[in-house]
Amino acid sequence: MNICSCVVHTRPERGAEIAARLEAMPGVEVHGGEPAGKLVVTLEDTAHAQAVDTLSAIGAVEGVINTVLIYHYGGDDIEQSIPEEDHP
Amino acid sequence: MKVTRREFIKSQAAVVAAASAGVTLPASTTAIAQSGDEGLRWDKAPCRFCGTGCSVLVGVRDGRIVASQGDPDAPVNRGLNCIKGYFLPKIMYGKDRLTQPLLRKKDGKFDKNGQFEPVTWDEAFDVMAEKWKAAIAKSMEENKGKPVEKMTSRVGMFGSGQWTVWEGFAASKFMKAGLRSNNLDPNARHCMASAVGAFIRAFGIDEPMGCYDDLEHADVFVLWGSNMAEMHPILWSRLTDTRLTKPGCEVHVLSTYEHRCFDLADNPMVFKPQTDLAILNYIANYIIQNKAYNQEFIEKHVQFQTATTDIGYGLRPEDPREQKAKHRGVGKKLPSSFEEFAKQVEPYTLDYVSELSGVPKKNLLRLAKVYADPNKKVSSYWTMGFNQHTRGVWVNGNLYNVHLLMGKISEPGNSPFSLTGQPSACGTAREVGTFAHRLPADLVVKKKAHRDFAEKIWKLPEGTIPGKPGYHAVLMHRMMKDGKMNTYWQLCNNNMQAGANMNEESYPGWRNPEVFVTVSDPYPTVSAQAADLILPTAMWTEKEGAYGNAERRTQFWRQQVAAPGESKSDLWQIMEFSKRFKMEEVWPEELLAKKPEYRGKTLYEVLFENGQVNRFPYEGQITDDRGNAYENHESEHFGFYVQKGLFEEYRLFNSAPDIIKKGHEMAEFQAYHRARGLRWPVIDGKETLWRFREGYDPHVAEFNPEVKKGDLYFYGNHKSNGGRANIIFAPYEPPAESPDQEYDLWLCTGRVLEHWHSGSMTRRVPELYRAVPEATVFMNKRDARKRHLRDGQIAKIATRRGEILARVETRGRNRPPRGLVFIPWFDASRLVNKLTLDATDPLSKETDYKKCACKVVRA
Repeated sequence: MNICSCVVHTRPERGAEIAARLEAMPGVEVHGGEPAGKLVVTLEDTAHAQAVDTLSAIGAVEGVINTVLIYHYGGDDIEQSIPEEDHP
Repeated sequence: MKVTRREFIKSQAAVVAAASAGVTLPASTTAIAQSGDEGLRWDKAPCRFCGTGCSVLVGVRDGRIVASQGDPDAPVNRGLNCIKGYFLPKIMYGKDRLTQPLLRKKDGKFDKNGQFEPVTWDEAFDVMAEKWKAAIAKSMEENKGKPVEKMTSRVGMFGSGQWTVWEGFAASKFMKAGLRSNNLDPNARHCMASAVGAFIRAFGIDEPMGCYDDLEHADVFVLWGSNMAEMHPILWSRLTDTRLTKPGCEVHVLSTYEHRCFDLADNPMVFKPQTDLAILNYIANYIIQNKAYNQEFIEKHVQFQTATTDIGYGLRPEDPREQKAKHRGVGKKLPSSFEEFAKQVEPYTLDYVSELSGVPKKNLLRLAKVYADPNKKVSSYWTMGFNQHTRGVWVNGNLYNVHLLMGKISEPGNSPFSLTGQPSACGTAREVGTFAHRLPADLVVKKKAHRDFAEKIWKLPEGTIPGKPGYHAVLMHRMMKDGKMNTYWQLCNNNMQAGANMNEESYPGWRNPEVFVTVSDPYPTVSAQAADLILPTAMWTEKEGAYGNAERRTQFWRQQVAAPGESKSDLWQIMEFSKRFKMEEVWPEELLAKKPEYRGKTLYEVLFENGQVNRFPYEGQITDDRGNAYENHESEHFGFYVQKGLFEEYRLFNSAPDIIKKGHEMAEFQAYHRARGLRWPVIDGKETLWRFREGYDPHVAEFNPEVKKGDLYFYGNHKSNGGRANIIFAPYEPPAESPDQEYDLWLCTGRVLEHWHSGSMTRRVPELYRAVPEATVFMNKRDARKRHLRDGQIAKIATRRGEILARVETRGRNRPPRGLVFIPWFDASRLVNKLTLDATDPLSKETDYKKCACKVVRA
């Protein structure tokens, strides 16, 4: 199971439009950054697409200038819940 | 609120991405990320791959690395990662990791033609030591009565620019001092030797004067034979940022084919192979003709010389091209002057060079003008296009000539910068000196004073270290084929796949019955399969390590996880193997007589229990400032803090008061575990960003007390010419092999973004494998059509030395001009080095992997 994050650079005026197009892709979530043209994106493996393929699909979206990778998780214990006492 | 691990990880991932981008996220996302640390232990480590030296944070749970992120505190990558770095932890978890030694056996005994069978470390080292001792005995017989300057050896080791600093140091000591063999060379010979040669010839000291900070200071970037977009993506993203945000910033890209960097190029130039030499001389000529040069700088800081020409191509001596060369392998520089230099570059006119190189005049002129403009800060970058070149030292030097004519050097933004291909080609191969001619800290085996100094530090009798350079990478294969080198130990690289001319030299050498080959590797690589003994290796964060990147930054990491099965680090293997030798078996009586207390001891005791290396106790674990605990398998085994002891002994070469060559000073061991790396020279705990300029580099005033504020002093040449940099004229000379009627295309080899080197690690990461599963032959559409080949069709690529099959790609990321094809070398199932020629730069001995003649036909 892969969960990844990256920053996707766009022209600032097109941030919101491109964010919407990315959100339509399987496993993709945009968390913010539209006004600056620096979209904070997470992506994960889904039944339909591996994160790495989604990543190259993002690179091919018209208006995406650059994709910078930040974080990767590759453990197998993803569906476990964290015990209540570990978080407030 | 119940949070699943998945939600937690996702918000964590979003938060770190936002931090790198400087974006604020809604509180709901950040709250989840702060809700717990997942039981992960986070620590820093430099990336395992290229010479950029990005820092990553690795998250360990239950003895396994499960997460990684770009290190936000790292000055190099500022939280960013490239795709290889992104999936970095997965390189350790390939399904076919080797976990025990494997020896070729038949009927229970070693047999060169036997099958690999698992053996114990004891049996592995027993068989290996027997072979090594037989070869050493023969060498000792051959060396009887010879002066130390004439000694030769039949044992050899092939190391790596991916070794940790202490692995390189231990290897150098083991081979050069212990076994008295200078046959130690790193795979960095294939990537950086030409850069080293040019640094020493021009500046008298190795490695770049500038640093990555130049990426934000320059007005103009020029790429010479470097596909930074794919090979150094993080530096490329910094360069891109500057280009897009700084008004007037330009990017010039030169290559023998179009690649991804051309997307950003303001001045794209595709030139005919080898003509970079001429283009640089044209720029020098333009600067002189237009009187744009910096007269004051030249008068004060430059000495003019001229190279010996017609030096051959580093092939076997019987090759007709070598027979024809007037000054085969001669590196002598002759005295010259500004006037003479001006006359020498005069024939390199715009008309002549445009015709020779195929680059349109207007592009060449635009390029020359930016170098000649005193108000534009220019940073030049290059990698293998310059270094893997039969005139690699010359072409590196010709670029320094241009920067030096203008005085554009050693200050923010004005920077000729040699990029590095491997994570520690600088730190280990070059600084430690694991080359056949070198000793630590830029010292060389040829100079008696340097050997004396090394022998004093290592507590050896005078005359221990041989004075004759050993066999370099390419020569090793030739010597194995000829039966003159009989044992070969390859560690931390894959030279059967990497070495040129595999069919005629590498393979026959390795499989020669008179040769015993050991390969240490985590995976069954092409090399491992061609070996006689395979030793399983602990890799990357399975050991404590140190790397030195291209900007002189030394970075440390701690062991994060245990290696699988019986795997041990290369450091463990070298030290443990040294226990197998009694001093009497490796040193002759007359040498032992000078140090009788070493009689009866093992090599291990003399080299590693010398009161220096074993000086720091090991407390059973390593702890960091935050109270986290880490294992250290070598220290556990040998009973002292091995890495610290070796590093501190190494510092006696580069940082003690009596050192021979100043300028490589490093901080004490523990400082590096705290810092995100430090750039040497480190003086009083402070790193140096730009060398040779007063105000940035404290050595300048020390060597030249008269120096004015902000002025320069090239102290690497303090003794040889009073601190001047050398402008050395070198002409255009043709390559060793050019296309003809039959072999009508240029063949150029190289890398792709997704794979690193021979792919032994990246091809085992499923995501990277799937991204680029096989090597293709990139060619021009018209060349393909002429040969009745379509995109995706299998073609046969043949040279005078061999042939391979590969799919044709005419629309991919690389777009060659007519007459040239490009094939990456990562793919073990189509070995492009069956095709390449083992022609080398006669000065640096580095192979030219970028130019030979091939033909492409339908398969």
